[in-house]
Amino acid sequence: MNTVVSYGVAGALLLAVAAYSTAGGTDYGAGIWDLLAGRFRHTAEVRALIDHAMAPVWEANNVWLVFSAVICWTGFPLLYESVFLSLYPLFALALLALILRGAFFAFRKVATSSSSMLLASRVFGISSLLAPFSFAAALGAIASGKVGVGGPVVPVWQACLDPLAIGFGAVALTATAFSGASFLVGDARRYRAATDETDENDEGPDLVEYFRRRAMVAAMALLAVSLVVLVLIAAESPTVFHGMVAGLGLPFAITAVLAVLAVAALMWRGVYRWYRVLTVVGVGSFVFAWGFGQVPYVLPGRLTIEQAAGAPAIEALLLGITVVALVLVVPSLLLLYTLDQRSALES
Amino acid sequence: MPAVTALDFLAASAPAALLPSRIQMAFTLAYHIILVPLGVAFPLLTVVMEGIGLRRNDPVALRLARRWSVVMAVQFAVGAVTGTILSFEFGILWPRMMGRFGDVFGIGFGIEGWAFFLEAIFIGIYLYGWKRLPPKVHYRLGWVLPPAGVLGAFGVIIANSWMNTPAGFQLGPDGRPINVDVIGAIFTPALGYEFWHLIVALYMTAGFMVASVYAVGWLRGRRDRYHRLGFTVPFTIGAVLAPIQWVIGDIATRAVFEGQPAKFAAMEVTWKTQSHNPEWVGGVMRADGTVVLGVPIPSLDSLLAGFSPSTVVKGLASFNPSDRPSIVDANFVHLAFDVMVGLGSIAILLTLWYAVAWVRYRDLPRSNWFFRGAALAGVGSYIAIEAGWITTEVGRQPWIVYNLMRVNDAVNPVDPVYIWIMFGTLLVVYAVIAFFFVSLLLRLSARWRIDDEGRRGDVDLAPEEAAPYGPRPA
Repeated sequence: MNTVVSYGVAGALLLAVAAYSTAGGTDYGAGIWDLLAGRFRHTAEVRALIDHAMAPVWEANNVWLVFSAVICWTGFPLLYESVFLSLYPLFALALLALILRGAFFAFRKVATSSSSMLLASRVFGISSLLAPFSFAAALGAIASGKVGVGGPVVPVWQACLDPLAIGFGAVALTATAFSGASFLVGDARRYRAATDETDENDEGPDLVEYFRRRAMVAAMALLAVSLVVLVLIAAESPTVFHGMVAGLGLPFAITAVLAVLAVAALMWRGVYRWYRVLTVVGVGSFVFAWGFGQVPYVLPGRLTIEQAAGAPAIEALLLGITVVALVLVVPSLLLLYTLDQRSALES
Repeated sequence: MPAVTALDFLAASAPAALLPSRIQMAFTLAYHIILVPLGVAFPLLTVVMEGIGLRRNDPVALRLARRWSVVMAVQFAVGAVTGTILSFEFGILWPRMMGRFGDVFGIGFGIEGWAFFLEAIFIGIYLYGWKRLPPKVHYRLGWVLPPAGVLGAFGVIIANSWMNTPAGFQLGPDGRPINVDVIGAIFTPALGYEFWHLIVALYMTAGFMVASVYAVGWLRGRRDRYHRLGFTVPFTIGAVLAPIQWVIGDIATRAVFEGQPAKFAAMEVTWKTQSHNPEWVGGVMRADGTVVLGVPIPSLDSLLAGFSPSTVVKGLASFNPSDRPSIVDANFVHLAFDVMVGLGSIAILLTLWYAVAWVRYRDLPRSNWFFRGAALAGVGSYIAIEAGWITTEVGRQPWIVYNLMRVNDAVNPVDPVYIWIMFGTLLVVYAVIAFFFVSLLLRLSARWRIDDEGRRGDVDLAPEEAAPYGPRPA
């Protein structure tokens, strides 16, 4: 019974991480495209679209991050301690990027001079790169086996700069760029539909085309980087590799690749259906492929889910609270998104 | 010199990272706490104001509610960021505490996290809904917010009261909790009084803070219905709660006397265990335990703690030096406690003034001095909350979990340079956030005044569309 509960809590933790990777990742991706828009002729239009797309949702995403932390320390205290003793520089970096990002996104809206606007955009864009990279690097360092129980098995900096840490960071950058571009295609379509009614002789840039191409490029980059990282995993962490290509992680790994390919194909053909759902499925499956690939370990080869588990009574309560809360939160979230969509229809 | 003794003590036995870690945690918590009163209690004020507007068909009340909802949402967003930082700081700064006690300590945050999520979603719905939902539906959905905020605060207090009076488990051979009793771990002895003391403080602060904005307007001669309503509703909530808080605070202090005697000794700068213990108003304790620069009221402390002058109060000297707050900590705690009690007493005087005016002329007090006091009551409440938090947290030193784990043993044993760098960066970034936040509020206030004076000729922009994270213009 205790084992079932522990696995349930581990599942909830993985789900929270996956939710942050998809929801938060899409947001970070938009930030990355904002940074890259600097070389495009229609920078201002691209940034206006990104502003428009991000404004209503971005603050809710951080909640998934908080859940990941809370579920981790309550469900698996030993894991939380070990990870932070080993990788605190990565988390410190990610946090700083997180606050800078939020602050300068707001600042850009109120900035009056073009130089302060440019500064705000730079800080916003660079921190959009840094945050997902650092968070994912922490997962990579865990997968590499450099995080030991009660502290790192190598010096902290070495654990943080492990090739797998860098590799996971690179996957996160391409994945967020991919999901960001994919969702921005949708936002550009809505934006265009809204402006076409009022403005017949449209001279503006074709933002749908702009992000359609970028989504395809990012999808290919994501798959290429993932392949390299898979080779790295095989070299550094054979048990995780085995779990990902022959164990529980396999179905998710396959799903991830197929979903990303499907989105790329849809973009190629210019078919704008299902691509957002597939994007979420694809990015989420990358997280699941790694997470399920590590089963039964939370720290590969060192600490299992059962060994890391906190007090059984607390874990059961945590699981109960999570289920009750989901029942309350999911309908509310749907209502919020409906209201948001309705605004787009009205405008 | 007490300061030197304390630093010597730190240097001798504490990990080098302890000082910057404590400073950083104190700073980020103190900052976050500023955002909590409005985050938890503002929704009730707003929904009550909306209710008044709907029932009396009063556009002024509705305008106030709508503008308040914008301020509520903006500051909630800032609080979300500073709160996220805190949840990671537990790991970065105090990993050993989390590893040993994360499960029993963390359950409150499990509740708080979801309550916070619910509140975030419904603040979004509330903000979006002004234009997109029927007024009745919008109003009813708004009532989700106050309980969600209270539930979140309840979760955090579960964790904090557990640190002060840990219970609900036995220690296993490896020092980790075993045989955990969930109910016992949640409902620890300190939970009751800490929860009510905090919730009442949050509502008082939100009430006085919001009212103080309109008190300033009142003093500047803007004595219209808008300012009268904006002042009366929140100030009444604060005023009703002030005397209640006096009683709760009294009960809480006596509970600390029973349950955390070392903290109580620090609050009352008591060195020697004795009966007929005086109550020091102000005062600084020196290294030898004598108190200077204060006014002692004979036997009052014993009287308050046990209803009799012969009540024996334990002094700091009766604890092992490694088990009690240092002299420096004790002086912080005592000063903070006095500030909190003093400000609470002033709040009661304002309440009396308000009540007398109401009984005599069924109207607001006429004196400008009342409104000057009310204008300061907002800031005063924030100072009182910070002081109360210093009292309970510094008073628990050197323990992170009372009598079970010292902060020394909880801290991340890293090179302090890293923590100083992180702290320095946070300081700069938090200053930037404060600047944006305040300048945004000022801009909103300026634009709303222009709207009210009818100086704006262009199309009417709904208040919630002026917020940087609000809904798209519909």
